[in-house]
Amino acid sequence: MKVRWPKLLLRALLCTCVVSGASSALAQTVKIGWLSSLTGPLSSAAIAENQGVQLAVDEINKSGGILGRQIELLTRDTAGDPTKAVNFAQQLAFSDKVQFVIGPVNSGEALATTPILARAGVPNIVIGALDELVDATKYPRAFRAINTNLQWISTANNYATGTLKKTKVAIIADTSGYGTASARSAEQLLDKAGIKPVYVVLVDANKTDLSDEMSKAKAAGADVVMPWSAATGLLGRLLNARGDMGWNVPVVGHPALMAAQIRKLLNKPEYWDNTFAAGYQSTTYGADGKLPERTQALVDKVRGKLGGGEIDVLFWWVALGYDTVKIIEYAAKTAGSFDPAAIQKVLENTKDFRGVYTSYSWSPTERNGFPDANMAMNAASTFKDGSFKPAPR
Amino acid sequence: MLTVVVSGLAIGMLYAAVALVYNVMFSTSKVLSVTTGHIAMLGGVFGAWFMTGLHLHWVIGLAGAIAVGALFGGLTELLAIRRVLNRSDEHLWLLSTLALATMVQQAVGLWWGTEPRPFPRLIDQTFSAGALDQKFWLPIALAALMAIGLEVFYRRTLFGKLFLAMSEDAFAARARGVSTDRIRVLSYVLSGALGGLAGFAAGQLTFAYFALGLTLTLNGFIALAVGGLGSNVGALIGGAALGLLNAFASHWFGGSYQQTIAVGLLMMVLLLKPEGLLGSKNVRPV
Repeated sequence: MKVRWPKLLLRALLCTCVVSGASSALAQTVKIGWLSSLTGPLSSAAIAENQGVQLAVDEINKSGGILGRQIELLTRDTAGDPTKAVNFAQQLAFSDKVQFVIGPVNSGEALATTPILARAGVPNIVIGALDELVDATKYPRAFRAINTNLQWISTANNYATGTLKKTKVAIIADTSGYGTASARSAEQLLDKAGIKPVYVVLVDANKTDLSDEMSKAKAAGADVVMPWSAATGLLGRLLNARGDMGWNVPVVGHPALMAAQIRKLLNKPEYWDNTFAAGYQSTTYGADGKLPERTQALVDKVRGKLGGGEIDVLFWWVALGYDTVKIIEYAAKTAGSFDPAAIQKVLENTKDFRGVYTSYSWSPTERNGFPDANMAMNAASTFKDGSFKPAPR
Repeated sequence: MLTVVVSGLAIGMLYAAVALVYNVMFSTSKVLSVTTGHIAMLGGVFGAWFMTGLHLHWVIGLAGAIAVGALFGGLTELLAIRRVLNRSDEHLWLLSTLALATMVQQAVGLWWGTEPRPFPRLIDQTFSAGALDQKFWLPIALAALMAIGLEVFYRRTLFGKLFLAMSEDAFAARARGVSTDRIRVLSYVLSGALGGLAGFAAGQLTFAYFALGLTLTLNGFIALAVGGLGSNVGALIGGAALGLLNAFASHWFGGSYQQTIAVGLLMMVLLLKPEGLLGSKNVRPV
């Protein structure tokens, strides 16, 4: 038999090319940058969110990835430092050429990174609550998954003045940029409701005793104290000062009031009573004592990963982290590609995409995806697996 | 008003205790180590861990906190001071101690966590004691005892006199047969033990918190500069002045001005009396 070597060689070469092309397509991944402050101050939220992010990535990769591509998660620990966050954002966008960026976790870092990611045209899932972080014109590919700070403040204000019928409000905030801005916003919102706070003070987050501030609030006739700070040490000291004074005034404010770390800092467990904070429907137990179905399913998965014990972080952090990856999956699958412009188009036409943390909606002019309807008020002392019972109505 | 005075005095006396630790280190090395506040942080964190994590009696917790402080003090001398001083007269120790302080803070943050954790009660007392609460008077009493103890140590013991001799003139001390390296490491171990003790005594006030070190380093230095470098009584006065000023600034004007006023005090003293309230003027004989 006559062997046609040139043709065989050509076929062999062709086969090699096809096989290598296929394997390179298999090796192609979708890169997601995750700007997380896993160490440094305020790392508790980031660590919990990271659990949700990792869980979602593992699940999606196990089920075949997104559009046939496995997710490659590039986690960068910013340590809560805006300078590091800026460097990592530039590295992820311009060197690693990621398709998406989640985070950073803290608003102070996000203020610095959002313009960089906008310039690079990378879709960014924003998880900072500060109101200035999103803007459909300036940062068209930045979509906020978390609620806004204003939603926290207005929910807490409405509860204090509308439900509890309190009119003599004392506002105590820390001296950070966040605390100062929140105190101002809270005051403005109360002003619109015709209420002038009887006492407003900014306190250094590391102040070792808040008896003086609480005594002044009491002397001013306050019938509700509203703290705006994410510093658990400060909030713990505030509740301790209230308890030690024997003053049973309601404390209504920032979600950090309900963090598990606060419970450990209290002089007595009952000092957590009569403390209420802005929370979420998705992490609030119903009248039947059960969590919403989707939340419970995620609680069960996370509990399994943690070894079966009690979950001692605010569970909405985990749910938010989980949802950020699911939003990316939904956007890419709906767009049928990873093209940033196509992703933007899908996200800005999203209506009621169901996540665990909430149902998200964005529009061409609105980049805040969290609906007011999912806000809730919780009673801090009912902490169980990172979720809460509703505050009394 | 009493609470403002007592809480200001309590945190001020913690700054004073840190200033005393600076003094002990400075006496033998002429170094103002950035790790000084971190030693107190370690005392608080390890004290809390011994008592709440390992469930040991507070006396053992106290001994453990002192031991950890002493160990870290010795390590500071070995890792960040000795080689730098042997090789250069420049102030490179600022960088080496800053590096060590940063590493220790990061390591504690990773191990202990970055949120403040509680420090247990040491003495059975109700929480409604107000200004008489142990969290206030423990650091106040300790700083006073430390200052008295150091005076006795310097005046009545051989090692104390060797510290003073090195403080006056290290070269002359060496010429007279004093092992200056050994005395210096001893002074760092002693200062570490005192720093650990200070952090333990103030644990209920500050909580066991990884990021406390740098705040104490800065405020301890301000107390030292105000009171006068090398003076133990000055350290007490400087610490008390700083704590009270901070407390009253916060009481009258709110927390926004607290740090500004603290640094303003430092600037004012440095401009009007650069050697501090009780510091001695450096006169160079010509």
